[in-house]
Amino acid sequence: MLFFSYFKDLVGKEVTVELKNDLAIRGTLHSVDQYLNIKLENTRVVDQDKYPHMLSVRNCFIRGSVVRYVQLPTEGVDIDLLHDATRREARGG
Amino acid sequence: MALGLRGTSGEPVIDRENGEELIRVQPGVDIALANLPRESPGTLYITTKQVIWVNDVDKSKGYAVDFLSISLHAVSTDPQAYSLPCLYTQIETEGDEELNSDNSDSESNQVQDLSNVREMRLIPTDPTQLDTLFQVFCECAELNPDPNDEEQEEAHEWIFNAEQMEEEEAGMCDVDEDYLSHNPTNTLGHSNGHHDLAGNILELQINDERFEDAEETEHNEDDTHHH
Repeated sequence: MLFFSYFKDLVGKEVTVELKNDLAIRGTLHSVDQYLNIKLENTRVVDQDKYPHMLSVRNCFIRGSVVRYVQLPTEGVDIDLLHDATRREARGG
Repeated sequence: MALGLRGTSGEPVIDRENGEELIRVQPGVDIALANLPRESPGTLYITTKQVIWVNDVDKSKGYAVDFLSISLHAVSTDPQAYSLPCLYTQIETEGDEELNSDNSDSESNQVQDLSNVREMRLIPTDPTQLDTLFQVFCECAELNPDPNDEEQEEAHEWIFNAEQMEEEEAGMCDVDEDYLSHNPTNTLGHSNGHHDLAGNILELQINDERFEDAEETEHNEDDTHHH
């Protein structure tokens, strides 16, 4: 549940979601659920030549299981907080 | 369960015995697969497990795709992306892992085989329905997490333990007996129904390792405290 809690804190921030089929979509994180399904708003495709059909979509729901990476905004990465959280998770707390 | 789009014929078949429910029927929806021309008129059926489109004139023409295979869905209203406002979906196919990224041009040559279709557009004649359709797709997608999803496994265990705790707290011995006698059946049914045996064993091993790691960590911390 660590990633779920972490991503919830990033709601409203700009992220890039890279799918397992190499499609990368940038947008504002609208919401995330326990399966790491991701909803983005104001999306745009990073490689527009390859995926012209996705040129601009208003909102987008991405299935958690097809996500390879989520690129985070630098200001959204609090190393100390993450350090604590991972230790707590390892303890099973 | 196979990934990808499949052809259907006749009225949609809903597997109510296995808990599938019809969520929404949306008349007046056209469909466009990959780069093929739009097909119309049709009716869209959204169930808790799949999306089915049936041609209104010739009901032998229809398509179905499980929510498990829908990688993403989005509201597309930019005429540059598609001439009409539509719900754009990407479909995961069985061949996705073997194929390289430079095959986007060849898609139109392969669509005779529906299981290779990677894009599906649903075009409601009333575009104001798009946001509702998007929302229904979101809700149904959330009902269909991957069968091997670790989070889901954890969630199952948690619910399982919580029930056990409730029973113990309530001090209902009868329920405990009941639980014991039913539990083996459930376990067998679960492993036969949703997981292959190899997958189960793998998951067990992963869980065991994690458990050992956690123990070691606690042990080390205890040592530190003693010194």
